[in-house]
Amino acid sequence: MRPLVVIALSLAAPLFVCLALGFGNDPIALQSSRPWLHREGGFVGAENCRACHLDHYASWRATFHATMTQLPQPEVVRGHFDGIAVPCDGGAVVPLARAGRFLMVVPAAAGKTREAEVALVVGSRRYQQYFERQVRGDGSALIRLPILWHILAQRWLPLDTVFLEPDRDEVDSHAATWNDSCILCHNTGPEPRLADPRDPVSASRFDSRVAELGIACESCHGPAAEHGRVRRDPLARYREHLGVSVAAAAVLPTHLEQERAIGVCGQCHGARLPQPLHRIRAWLTTGPTYRPGDLLSEHVTPITAATPVLGNTDPAAFALRFWSDGTPRLTAYEYQGIKQSACYLRGAMTCSSCHSMHAGDPRGQMRPDIQGNATCTQCHEQIARDLTGHTHHVESSAGSSCVECHMPRIVYGVTELHRSHRIDSPDAEREALSGRPHACTLCHVDRSPLWAGEQLRTLWGDRFRVPAARRDRAPIDLPDAIASLHAGDAAARAVYAAAIGRPTATFAEGAAAPLRAHLAVAMGDGYPMVRWLAQRSLASLEERRPSGLSPLLAGIDHTSGEGSRRLAVEGLLDFLATDGKNRMPVPMVGMLMNGDCRLQLGLVIRLTNLQSRNLISIGE
Amino acid sequence: MNDPAAQRALNTGWLLLAVYLPLGLTLEALHALKVQVYFGSELRRELWTLAHAHGTLLGILCLVFASLGDRAVADTSRRARVSSLLRSGAILMPLGFLFGGILNYEGDPSLAILLVPFGGVLLATALLLAARSAPRN
Repeated sequence: MRPLVVIALSLAAPLFVCLALGFGNDPIALQSSRPWLHREGGFVGAENCRACHLDHYASWRATFHATMTQLPQPEVVRGHFDGIAVPCDGGAVVPLARAGRFLMVVPAAAGKTREAEVALVVGSRRYQQYFERQVRGDGSALIRLPILWHILAQRWLPLDTVFLEPDRDEVDSHAATWNDSCILCHNTGPEPRLADPRDPVSASRFDSRVAELGIACESCHGPAAEHGRVRRDPLARYREHLGVSVAAAAVLPTHLEQERAIGVCGQCHGARLPQPLHRIRAWLTTGPTYRPGDLLSEHVTPITAATPVLGNTDPAAFALRFWSDGTPRLTAYEYQGIKQSACYLRGAMTCSSCHSMHAGDPRGQMRPDIQGNATCTQCHEQIARDLTGHTHHVESSAGSSCVECHMPRIVYGVTELHRSHRIDSPDAEREALSGRPHACTLCHVDRSPLWAGEQLRTLWGDRFRVPAARRDRAPIDLPDAIASLHAGDAAARAVYAAAIGRPTATFAEGAAAPLRAHLAVAMGDGYPMVRWLAQRSLASLEERRPSGLSPLLAGIDHTSGEGSRRLAVEGLLDFLATDGKNRMPVPMVGMLMNGDCRLQLGLVIRLTNLQSRNLISIGE
Repeated sequence: MNDPAAQRALNTGWLLLAVYLPLGLTLEALHALKVQVYFGSELRRELWTLAHAHGTLLGILCLVFASLGDRAVADTSRRARVSSLLRSGAILMPLGFLFGGILNYEGDPSLAILLVPFGGVLLATALLLAARSAPRN
């Protein structure tokens, strides 16, 4: 064989590879060229990070952060776009699929309907929300469509039935604009690009872009263009591996000092306003100015109960997002909760003390190396040495779980009650006076604040005082769950509606029938989400100890109209007082139920009359 | 076998197969049993797969050279040199992949990976020498 032929043959494969890379399919270039995406401000996108960080890329892809915002591809859309009408605020919405497109037939002006095409999908764990693009002059806006798909419940729900707010009959009451709200936290490197923030005519016209749809690497590690450029040189990488030199290092939240570390999560998990406020213009054009590693407080002011609402008809709107003692009661306020906690104020706790973004179960993203009480006892070692001496509960019970008492589920968000991130100790008197649900009675659902106060005083000492009155003015000796379920404000009602059915809830045999009856009454609440949680709890109680209510429960829809809801509640109460009572223990006294399993409705109504008239509207 | 170069290539070939065929079986077992620590590093998996593939194929190449080397490279001293280069390269290259996957970084192998290009150069030189010594019809 001639030498030239040999040389040509040996160069053939390398040349082929180079040509294929130059002209073949390039997923990174393809992604970067999408009209949604920008590569400004040093952002490069997660696909670029993958080359070096294979394992972190893979663990991130498994999280709900990665799929928070997506384009409506068939493999992405979880909703059943099957053409079946979904009742919605007195009308109907029809989700349907046509030629690979996802559409909703929605009510329009003058009693007509129109087709809206899904352009964007937001949400990944509990529910998916759908947005349509509305063209406005030379810009556009992405507007939320009126129904969402609840992934866990596998059903469509009107938006106003999943938020903590009273019944409404306006189909477009939640037609939020993605470009000036959702974009900021559910994407990486957001740029809302409002047409002209000073011109009110163009106030709703955008040309929005993001560095990446969803919450990706650069949300927490900072823009990576320089980091990637330096590390393309293998010598630079090995110098860093061997500890010789580090240039253009990415931000590692676990290596930041405490204040900066919690700011990384707090940029989204801490509802905030721009600081100073006039930065709102920059937010609506080039996006938030905070970058990981910065001090969050230099860019934003976290919202607290005392934050005034400018230009809003309800100046206390922010205050309603907190229990009256300032504890957040809504998700996305975890940063505020942490900053109120002794573990942060007097300890070294950061978000990554308990959570890991690259390991463990994506649900909750708890560190897999320290499960259960170990998250707390990594610092509180002396408690671990004598757990029951501290908890006064059996070691295997929920009462010996640190978080049940110190991080109770009193925070509402996305159709669920979450743990409070204000880590503190239960105090029956403080909670009774502030209206904040009390950790003891979230498990001991047949017990009163009075009982809780006495127990705290007996078991943990004189620093605890027995409460004398409740904020909602319900009798202090009534079981907290029952009093809060009827007399509390909507957030308290939601908390206890969920708590009664939880597996950790414990109660005497004689409380089984009364708790079912009170939950049945809560299924007629004026807030759809309270009804949803009450129905879920009732179903859960029935699962553990059937009383025959299940067939009736299965036929009730918390989104149905007031008339049918009233019939459903009456049906449930009648059943309990007839068939049900034969299968249940005799009701204990003090639970507002007679011995014949009939509720003392007069007293229940007196409790409901104590409900706060504050209309809570929590759109999370 | 009287040719010492062929004998050494034969020994090396069997040695490589003895090491890297069981490695392949081990990797398959780790896959089958879904051993988490093995799946913990994607780069390590790739490097060890490459070690198995290169070790096995280069072992077979050594066996082929042992049986056909005298026909490919007629000159005894040159054959001895080709054999030496081939054996060294065949040992170093898979070893570089294997050790590169031990104490490796997330995106980069450990420094043992330097054995791979070194082994590659030895193999390329052996190939070149053998090609130049091939009898021309």
